[in-house]
Amino acid sequence: MRKSIRPALRLICMLLVAALYAKFLWDTEVSLLKLQRGLPWMADFIVRMYPPDFSVLASALRGALQTLEIAVIGTTLAAILALPLGFLSARNIAPPKVFYGVRGVLNLFRSIDTMVYALFFVAAVGLGPFPGVMAVVVYTAMSLAKLYSEAIEGIDTGPVEAITATGASRLQILRYGVMPQIIPLFISYILYRLETNIRAAAILGFVGAGGIGFYIQTYLRMMNYRAAACVLLILVVMVMAVDLASSQIRKALV
Amino acid sequence: MITLRNLRKLYPPETLALDDCTMTIAPGEFVIVIGPSGSGKSTLLRCINRLVVPTSGQVIVDGLDVTAATRAELRQARRVIGMIFQQFNLIKRASVMDNVLAGRLGYAHPVASLFGYFGPDDQAIAEESLQQVNLLELADRRADTLSGGQQQRVAIARALAQHPKVILADEPTASLDPKLTRVIMDILKEINQGQGITVLVSQHLIDVAVTYGSRLIGLQSGRIIFDGPPQQLTETIIQRIYGEM
Repeated sequence: MRKSIRPALRLICMLLVAALYAKFLWDTEVSLLKLQRGLPWMADFIVRMYPPDFSVLASALRGALQTLEIAVIGTTLAAILALPLGFLSARNIAPPKVFYGVRGVLNLFRSIDTMVYALFFVAAVGLGPFPGVMAVVVYTAMSLAKLYSEAIEGIDTGPVEAITATGASRLQILRYGVMPQIIPLFISYILYRLETNIRAAAILGFVGAGGIGFYIQTYLRMMNYRAAACVLLILVVMVMAVDLASSQIRKALV
Repeated sequence: MITLRNLRKLYPPETLALDDCTMTIAPGEFVIVIGPSGSGKSTLLRCINRLVVPTSGQVIVDGLDVTAATRAELRQARRVIGMIFQQFNLIKRASVMDNVLAGRLGYAHPVASLFGYFGPDDQAIAEESLQQVNLLELADRRADTLSGGQQQRVAIARALAQHPKVILADEPTASLDPKLTRVIMDILKEINQGQGITVLVSQHLIDVAVTYGSRLIGLQSGRIIFDGPPQQLTETIIQRIYGEM
């Protein structure tokens, strides 16, 4: 019975998926022809960027610094805010009611990206780096809380039991049995979020939330491609430097 | 030193891990609990320092009723009951020395110890304990870089740092090969004879138990069905403990 149904079912599924892809490709107007026609324009765009105009270096560096500052402050505040949320959404710590409640809230807020929060906070507190920081804080706190809670759930109970057996107090058990297991993971997650937040903060300027994105957008709109190239170059260097430093630290931690 | 009276432990809904266990262990004894997996050996040991809370019955260690102890009393009691485990249960990322110092937590300053500070006395005791298991030269190594046998010796040093009156060893050699099994059992025996510490070991290997124990306790489905010197452990009794083989 099952054997006769299966191949038919599989065929229907495959046709269905194929039909969906056909519709999606049609809807999104994907076209190799258009891409081919666009090639000269791309080349033109890149040619116009060369050579980068380093007379705007000061602005580029100022923007880069602000992006770094937004990412660092936002990630740090989020890392702290995420601590209680992380413990409250860990299955082996929180009572079931709290656990489900907090998990639900986290999933809700995590489904919206940093950029959307930035629009919201720009409207609320005005232009500048502060709404950028707030946007980073909200999204990062939610995603770090999730990662924290998973680290807490994965804890090895053996050392906790061993420390308890020595006659240690609750705080000592937390400090010697629990923290050594989760702190390196927490730091690793925070650094990873810092890396992604640098990238996110780089485009926050597009919606007026501060940082290097403002300069990229402005020069592109003014069609000053050579200046834009300089800013992009600085952005690339900064992202790579942070990634490198962060991955070195993370390697040392595990 | 240790008295159990009518000890019962029921894991809900209906797993009876310990059933009416009564026994007394005198100071300085070396007792080995034998029995098949799931016979209640681990639960018995864990009831003694209340890592497992018994359903009913009484546990008295060094004159204190552990089952009725307040939180503070319980910590006082645990302080003098060292425990070692099958999986060693060291803090993997911490150094060997820091692991042994953890044995001093019950004595250390409650606040200063949270910042990793231990007094000079605690440091000296930790060093002395590491010396006893011949691992002082590895004091600065990370615990998880050591071999299994070495890790169990660190765990023994941690227990010794407690200056215990009793050491509970829950299947301390089940993760080790026969040679290391002897090394670890020899150390426990030496601690028992040299320092007069009461030692209670759970052990699933009968030949090891017979070689080392001066008194054996046979557990079967949570009941004590043998209690006596190894000479009295006959084939018939072994069959009753382990069932048909």
